[in-house]
Amino acid sequence: MLPENITAIVARNEYWTGEAASEPYEAGWAREAVFFLRALKQPAGKAPKAWVEISPDGMHWVREGTEFEMPSAKDQVAVARLTTFGNWLRITTRFDAGADCTVLITLHLKA
Amino acid sequence: MTTDLSTAGMSEAMRLAMLRADPALSRFDPLPRIISFDDFSRGHCGWSQLVGNYEGDLDTMLPGYAQHTSAMLSTLGHWDAGSHGGMGSSYALKIATRARPGAQNVAIKRHTFRKRGPIRFELYFTFKPEATELKLSETDVRSIGLLFDLQGGDRDGDGERVMPHLRFLNAADGKHLQKWQYKRETTTFKAIGSEDKTLSHYHLAPDGWIDLPDGGQRLCYNEIPTKVNWSYLRFDFDLETMQATGLQCNDRTFDLSGFDSIRIPAMKNLWCMLNFALFAETDVAKRAFLYVDSVCISGDF
Repeated sequence: MLPENITAIVARNEYWTGEAASEPYEAGWAREAVFFLRALKQPAGKAPKAWVEISPDGMHWVREGTEFEMPSAKDQVAVARLTTFGNWLRITTRFDAGADCTVLITLHLKA
Repeated sequence: MTTDLSTAGMSEAMRLAMLRADPALSRFDPLPRIISFDDFSRGHCGWSQLVGNYEGDLDTMLPGYAQHTSAMLSTLGHWDAGSHGGMGSSYALKIATRARPGAQNVAIKRHTFRKRGPIRFELYFTFKPEATELKLSETDVRSIGLLFDLQGGDRDGDGERVMPHLRFLNAADGKHLQKWQYKRETTTFKAIGSEDKTLSHYHLAPDGWIDLPDGGQRLCYNEIPTKVNWSYLRFDFDLETMQATGLQCNDRTFDLSGFDSIRIPAMKNLWCMLNFALFAETDVAKRAFLYVDSVCISGDF
């Protein structure tokens, strides 16, 4: 049997500004996860840091430790690679006033 | 009691004996050919995200579709009791809405058919809202349901796209309604983009749902938001007549004599389409989760 893998689209054409987070995604069956975050439009303002969060229940979130810069140009892609994350995963960020990004976030999971 | 010793009778007896001895399939009543059997211990089994049509720019996608996200594999892990698990494996398919009143999400499996005849869609399912409050929350999930998206063959001459829709309306505006409904109407078709090639309509718009006669049913909804029980659902449809022929949920069967589907003119690219979709809808600012333990789709062909 080949190992399972899946590409999940967790945010598509979402306009992010202020406090932003992707919807929770359950990935407990996977041994590794890679998030790609692509800017679908030219972002405005300063590109903030984004971080991966994990959760015991899909409702309470803590930082996993992986951080990356949000894209600063259209079609730029940011990446986060993960190997120990329990079950729930999401990406969060916080924009300064006037800053934004329209995101496509894909999650690639492999058993 | 008579015993049918004809070849056909023996063949059917053998088929039933093998089905009933198979622990995975024994809880289903499939028609002679199993088109797919999904228990979600082997991945998503083709249940993908229902993505809306677009052209040139994702902003052209209708908002009903733009909200959709990918279904996931879940052990129904709860904050207070841990993983609930499925009926025969650790995993179930989870279709989760966003935490916004009226939010919906849809998972779809896309096939085509090789013969217009009876098909049967069976599943074991349950639903709950996200357990963000320490109370029963039984009126937080608005509905869960299924739909097919069907179109005849290119030489069939009946020129229709047929979309049977069924939902269990659990609650609306805080009222626990618990009844089965269907719908016959979709929204107006809207041209997407500028090349006159793509149209879109949102067939899960909240309007136009009609009560099934005697369609009230109180399902098992266990006593806190993190206790779930699996329920059985069967929907039968005849691709030849494009009519629904049966609906069963747990111990109840329902009269479909007044049932009809959304019917729209055939589309130029969708011949022999055989799509199956499952959806969830929340009534409040809390995620609704539809969990599917297993699905068996069968046909007589």
